Amino acid sequence: MAKVPCTHCHLEFDESVMIKKEENGKTLYFCCKGCEGVYELLNSKGLDSFYEKLGKNKLEPANINFDDLEKFDSEGFYKKYVRVNKDGFNEINLIIEGIHCSACVWLNEKVLHQTDGIIEAVINYSNNKAKVVWDPDIIKLSKIIETIRAIGYNAFAYDPKLQEEKAIKLRNEYYTRILVGVFATMNIMWIAIAQYTGYFTGMEKNHKNILNIAEFVLATPTLFYSGWIFFRGAYFGLKNRFVNMDLLVSVGALLAYLYSIWAMVTMQGEVYFDSVTMIITFVLVGKYLEILSKKKAVDTLDKIIGSTPTEVNVKNKGLTAVEAVEIGDIIEVKPGEKIVIDGILTKGSALFDLSVLTGESEPVLLKEGDEVISGSIVIDSAVEYRATKSANDSMLHQITELLSDAVTKKPKIEQLANQISGYFSVIILLIAAMTFLGWYFIVGSGFEKALIVSISVIVIACPCALGLATPMATLVGISRLAKDGILFKEASKIETMAKATTLAIDKTGTITVGKPLVVNFKKFKDFDINLLYSLVKNSNHPISKGILNYLKEHFSNLKKVELKDFKEIQAKGVVARYEGQFLLGGNLKLLKDSDIKFDIKSQNSLYIFAINNEVVAYFELNDIIKPNAKEFISQIKKLGLKVVMLTGDNQNTAQKIANEVGISEVKANLLPQDKASYIDKLHKNKEIVVMIGDGINDSIALAKSDIAIAMGSGADIALEVSDVVLINNKLSSLQEAFVISKRVFKTIKQNLGFSLLYNATVIPLAVLGYINPLFAALSMSLSSLVVVGNSFRIYNAKVKNER
Amino acid sequence: MSDNVIAVMIGISTALGAFGLFALIWGIKTGQFDDQEKFLDGAKFDGEEELRDAIMMEQKKKEALKRKKEKNYKPMD
Repeated sequence: MAKVPCTHCHLEFDESVMIKKEENGKTLYFCCKGCEGVYELLNSKGLDSFYEKLGKNKLEPANINFDDLEKFDSEGFYKKYVRVNKDGFNEINLIIEGIHCSACVWLNEKVLHQTDGIIEAVINYSNNKAKVVWDPDIIKLSKIIETIRAIGYNAFAYDPKLQEEKAIKLRNEYYTRILVGVFATMNIMWIAIAQYTGYFTGMEKNHKNILNIAEFVLATPTLFYSGWIFFRGAYFGLKNRFVNMDLLVSVGALLAYLYSIWAMVTMQGEVYFDSVTMIITFVLVGKYLEILSKKKAVDTLDKIIGSTPTEVNVKNKGLTAVEAVEIGDIIEVKPGEKIVIDGILTKGSALFDLSVLTGESEPVLLKEGDEVISGSIVIDSAVEYRATKSANDSMLHQITELLSDAVTKKPKIEQLANQISGYFSVIILLIAAMTFLGWYFIVGSGFEKALIVSISVIVIACPCALGLATPMATLVGISRLAKDGILFKEASKIETMAKATTLAIDKTGTITVGKPLVVNFKKFKDFDINLLYSLVKNSNHPISKGILNYLKEHFSNLKKVELKDFKEIQAKGVVARYEGQFLLGGNLKLLKDSDIKFDIKSQNSLYIFAINNEVVAYFELNDIIKPNAKEFISQIKKLGLKVVMLTGDNQNTAQKIANEVGISEVKANLLPQDKASYIDKLHKNKEIVVMIGDGINDSIALAKSDIAIAMGSGADIALEVSDVVLINNKLSSLQEAFVISKRVFKTIKQNLGFSLLYNATVIPLAVLGYINPLFAALSMSLSSLVVVGNSFRIYNAKVKNER
Repeated sequence: MSDNVIAVMIGISTALGAFGLFALIWGIKTGQFDDQEKFLDGAKFDGEEELRDAIMMEQKKKEALKRKKEKNYKPMD
């Protein structure tokens, strides 16, 4: 049967299952009541131009079944999320779910604008965060949320004060300061070109003086406005008895500035205003990049915290704030809701989606007396459970807590780098000061000469080559790796990667493909394959999907037939009827329940298909190992790394896969925090740990490890906390990452050796007064070029054993 | 070239540039650049109707503020 797109969400379905409607001579199709409702609402409000704007984009089918509206008007919710702005209106920050394209943003804004009582509604196109201001006398918050839901979207509240406001403010502050710096630098550059030409070919004193003043005007705001961050950093550093890079930058820039003023006023010598602005601007841009990456991580964190319910339904108490739930309270949950407090099931049984915690995609059936862990989602039926922990001790809270720690904490490698450059800065400043004193008092050369020589020392030693040695090599290494689909998020991580001693690997989705595949298929009797095709097509279970893929690959002309009485039996299989035939597909447990005698032993998952209680075929499914996993592991071992497998799966399966790929150390049955504590244990043995994973369940361990590597297909949060992302999902690119980072580390050492040698030779020359500031600047640039050139050799380096 | 001409040229061009710079900084301070994608996507939905919407919102705000004032206004005895 032909597939037609739903008029609202544009998803395509068979014509037979669609709701049909005639309107103005046109036939409209809807995939569900929700979509139909939204379409009619938009039409009646005259907003049907939305569909024009939507173009070919697809939406999610509209969900209309919510019944938690009253929570938005509760006092606890108001206290937590709603603020009163300066005009006396209420204000809330929301994350809108279901936005796929800019037309969605337009629609949401438009509808909110047309709603009475809403004063302001702004939605961010990039991260779907919205700010809504409303008059509480006219409209209630629940009504606003209802409006958003009525057009097919959903909204969560979040608290921007947590992280976001701070991050945005900081980002804007840096941005403004950089703009001033860049503006001044660009203008000073062209004035400086005239100055340089004048230096070599001669220029009128008056002209030079005008150019000097123009440079002074541009350099002043740069030094004191843009460079304020360095002065501030240097001041705080000194206050805590700590010399940092900020101090060297500010002293160097300030000295050059003061000297230039003196040269300008006395009209003697050269001015160095261009150096002042360039030093400040370039170093500032570096700092700004660091802040940008932090902001992105904060956005994801807000999304997780935002989708966490703030209130739960406690039996006999009604809606209660999560924090107020006491141990022993009975909590009721409906299908689709997320568990926020750990506990034990007391009534009913249901399928739980534990993928957040274990990474395993198969839902798990939990019965009375079983433990439910927060973060899991109830899939199919309403249950009750007794809280055994308070909200703050529950798993979900701990995960978010750990993640926000990981996002805000500075890596220790960065602190070390600052410390080293700090020592260097102190030494250079001391040498410069001694040079000045030496020339002024011992040689008796006069103030100007002494100052020029000491500034030469600072400029020539301005740790450019030294400062570039590491970032340049890593930058080239990073772009080389990025070309091959390996993304490093932080430059300093390459160094850590080169020094790594242990590799911790997650099983599902990393070593294995993560989707069950048919490994064996046996037919006992001929049957209509379309029956099986229709049966598995109706189910969303991973096993059914695996069989569906197998059928699509091996059979042609598959047709879906109309099944009746289709029923999914929890954790067992599916049954249905077709023209008097009773179809059944599932595991051994299901057969036993239906009194079908069939016996088979297998290490793999089984799917048995029976017609009228007679087994006609069976499938063995297995999560297969990625093709080159074994070779990869042996290559990694050759590089001298220890390999450990961490998994939430059971010991048997884990051991079997570990043996196949050649991993000797296996830790099975691990919960997310067990994985993290295992990493801690490795740290205590002074191991530098690289961790590869893809699920949310790996994210704590990923955050704890020195290098976190996520597969590109992994969960968002795993990607966020990771330092390295493998876009092409290939294990061989990981091997390349190890080889290249070792190469980068070698180049860094070469660069450092060179720049130290350079400093050791030119600083004495500068101290002795053989170099004037202009040539100091020139040789500084040359030394930087050497470092850059050496680093670029990484780009063409070959990876051994390349496949 | 006389000194004055050079001074005036540098002065005016720098001032013009600075004017642009201040406009940009004003834009950042008022949050106009908080949303990168709005530059591209927002332009698609920028027309007469949107302008009317913006005016409607402003009027709505004014009215709401007025109502608030009236409500808080207590006549003296």
